[in-house]
Amino acid sequence: MLTCQSLSDDAAAYMDASLPAPRRLRIKAHLLFCPACRRYLQQLKIAMGLARHAATEPPPPEVEERLVSMFRQARRQDPPG
Amino acid sequence: MHADLSLARKLSAGDAEAFRSLVRAQHHRLILLATGFTQSRAIAEEVVQDAWVVVMENIDAYEGRSALSAWIAGIVVNKARARARKEQRMISFEAMADADGPAIAPEKFAADGHWADGMPAWEVVTPERLLGARQLLRKVAEALEGLPPAQRVAVLLRDVEGLEPAEICRQLDISEVNLRVLLHRARNRLREAADEDLRIK
Ligand SMILES: [Zn+2]
Repeated sequence: MLTCQSLSDDAAAYMDASLPAPRRLRIKAHLLFCPACRRYLQQLKIAMGLARHAATEPPPPEVEERLVSMFRQARRQDPPG
Repeated sequence: MHADLSLARKLSAGDAEAFRSLVRAQHHRLILLATGFTQSRAIAEEVVQDAWVVVMENIDAYEGRSALSAWIAGIVVNKARARARKEQRMISFEAMADADGPAIAPEKFAADGHWADGMPAWEVVTPERLLGARQLLRKVAEALEGLPPAQRVAVLLRDVEGLEPAEICRQLDISEVNLRVLLHRARNRLREAADEDLRIK
């Protein structure tokens, strides 16, 4: 029987759906009776979502203004069409 | 994807406010990404600026086959790799996937291989909960910035920017097994960073 420890080793592959079918089925079977591992996988997903939010911090205003003015110049010299 | 194509058309047409919103959303994460290659914040800032110039000048080449954020992150990776190679700062992502100890400390498991603490439940993370969760987000941000460079790059490309695993492996010159090891370590670290705040006491 698969342990929680060996399930955790395969968690990244399982979530990316890149696990061969037999190992995938063993994980599914384990999850049926192991609420702790169901919570573990769900918490990993939540943490990945949190990473998306946490990594969003506006740039310093002077950097933003410099980039926007570079954009205005770049697209002005090169009108669409 | 459809929304990204219409955003790209706005950029094409010279919509500076659309560009500004893109910079606001992505600039900081791109710096974190580039730093994983250059090992220097100052060089990473130059790299990301160069990448934005590529975006400005070549937005018409974006075809909507991947998310726009993933397309831009790919440009940053190319620029950062080239710069790191030139400055001889290039690290081997493959070697970094082989380094370090286990992703989860052995004492987290009981002798029979099950979770020692039974994995306590977390409170539900709603968008409203996130608004008041500055401490939680700061902890996750610190964990992300504190990851070893290869793990940080892997999790940013896969989980934040949404690149496909095969594409990431090609860009980082690593195997799918290496990528999974890096993601496994990074995701566990991020989960642990959020655990204290979210676990129901
Ligand atoms: Zn389990």
